[in-house]
Amino acid sequence: MSDALLSVTDVSVAFGGVAALDCVSLEIREGEILSLIGPNGAGKTTLFNVISGVLRPQRGDVRFLGRSILGRSPHQIAQMGIGRTYQIVRPFGNLSVVDNVAVGALTHARSIGAARRAAREIVDFVGLAPLATRPASSLTLTQRKRLEVARALALRPRLLLLDEVMAGLTPSEMDTMAEFVVRLSEHGIGTVCGIEHVMRLVMRISHRIVVLDAGRCIAEGDPKAIQADPRVIEAYLGAPLAETI
Amino acid sequence: MKLWLPVAALVVALLVVAPSWLNGYYLNLLYITVLYVGLAYGWNIISGYAGYFSFGQIAFFGIGAYATGLIVVNLKWYWLLAALSGGVIACALSIPMGYVMLRLRGPFFAMGMFGLAQTSRVVITAIPATGGGSGLFLPPASDLRSIFYWTLAITVCAIALTAWIDRSAFGLRLQALREDEQVAGTLGINVTLEKMYAFALSALIPGLLGGGYAWFLTYIEPDAVFSPRLDLQSVVMAILGGVGTVWGPLVGGVLMTQIAEALWAKFPQVYLMIFGGLLVVLLIVLPRGIVPALVQRMRRTT
Repeated sequence: MSDALLSVTDVSVAFGGVAALDCVSLEIREGEILSLIGPNGAGKTTLFNVISGVLRPQRGDVRFLGRSILGRSPHQIAQMGIGRTYQIVRPFGNLSVVDNVAVGALTHARSIGAARRAAREIVDFVGLAPLATRPASSLTLTQRKRLEVARALALRPRLLLLDEVMAGLTPSEMDTMAEFVVRLSEHGIGTVCGIEHVMRLVMRISHRIVVLDAGRCIAEGDPKAIQADPRVIEAYLGAPLAETI
Repeated sequence: MKLWLPVAALVVALLVVAPSWLNGYYLNLLYITVLYVGLAYGWNIISGYAGYFSFGQIAFFGIGAYATGLIVVNLKWYWLLAALSGGVIACALSIPMGYVMLRLRGPFFAMGMFGLAQTSRVVITAIPATGGGSGLFLPPASDLRSIFYWTLAITVCAIALTAWIDRSAFGLRLQALREDEQVAGTLGINVTLEKMYAFALSALIPGLLGGGYAWFLTYIEPDAVFSPRLDLQSVVMAILGGVGTVWGPLVGGVLMTQIAEALWAKFPQVYLMIFGGLLVVLLIVLPRGIVPALVQRMRRTT
């Protein structure tokens, strides 16, 4: 357990009387690609909100690099090295693509010029170079998804949280994105936790999978074990799909 | 890009020598123009760059004016020093006010600030030392020229500050939080702190201008310095010129004061009606303001 980069312990969040997260515990290990799967409303994004400091849980603890990050504000958590994307893309529409990315780079760059240079590199890396000076509002959905990732990358995070970066993409774009996620380690981003619904890719690129259902963690393991787990099949995968994989 | 620097220097030089050959009326008009432009620049930082639309920055103008007046009457300081202190006091008071007000967003912030300005007026009126509703008389000591220079200096500094913000990391942070505050936070921006900086700057500028205005009037009363009209006009000027741009408040401010003055001279009875109609037309034709529209046109032709 000593190699846990981030550990979530007994976290509970309730909205009104509805439990969005109910005693969830999991850990993300250094260097792995962990996928978080589960039906809609299972609490996956809520968990991201808790980790990134947007939402404060009623119970439980979140530790990053051995220190509790509970009660810290989002910017402190971002500066500590956790970058996240949003499921519904939220670009800074009136800013250029480079400036969108440079915002994240300001956490470590000495000047705005240095931040923009770092941003250019990342914009190249995600394949948005030809659009670098265009306002983000002019991008297509696919491009916006890439921009979401690029902004989070600019923080140079130790841990990257990707919230459904595949949703809305065509199958071939999904393959490109999956390859891109695998390639992140080349860019120094070793640890990725992704929320994803596209099982074909989840099973292909994940080292480990955690399954949430109705706010509870119902299973955890490598892709093979998850596909064979009867609880997961019942709650999420469905029997026919599990047979076809 | 290098061309504008000598042009700006020339304009400032002209403004510096202008008072020596202008008569009272034109110097007055020039002073009012520069004052409005300065107020529009003050508003543009918190509202244009940080996206917090305020209808109450006049609170700090009034506080600056009263602080200056009280210092001069009670402590008998040199007027320039008093005006400077007035601005600093307004800026200092803006910190606790901003801490509370910046928790509101959108229309709630806008209305909250309007309320804050009116509350400031009432509080100032209630303090016995200010003379309440009957106002405060300042010893006549300074001529219009030095007040004009003071105002010009602050307005030029406000423009320079805006030009710096526009290209600085601070400005990028403000624009990011204007676009989406939550995302800006998860990208490592301390949004609370950056908003407070912007708010304090947007209080300092009207505060300093208010100090000069106190001298201009030599008699200050709550309704004159906490005037919603002064506030709204400077806001409309910034909007017309282009919100969140470096040159918008200048273009909007100069244009609008001149148009208003010309209309007032020609049609004193109905000038406000014509002026209002003109504004509506301009904002329908150029919803983002004059400067962004010009920039867009220039990009298209090159």
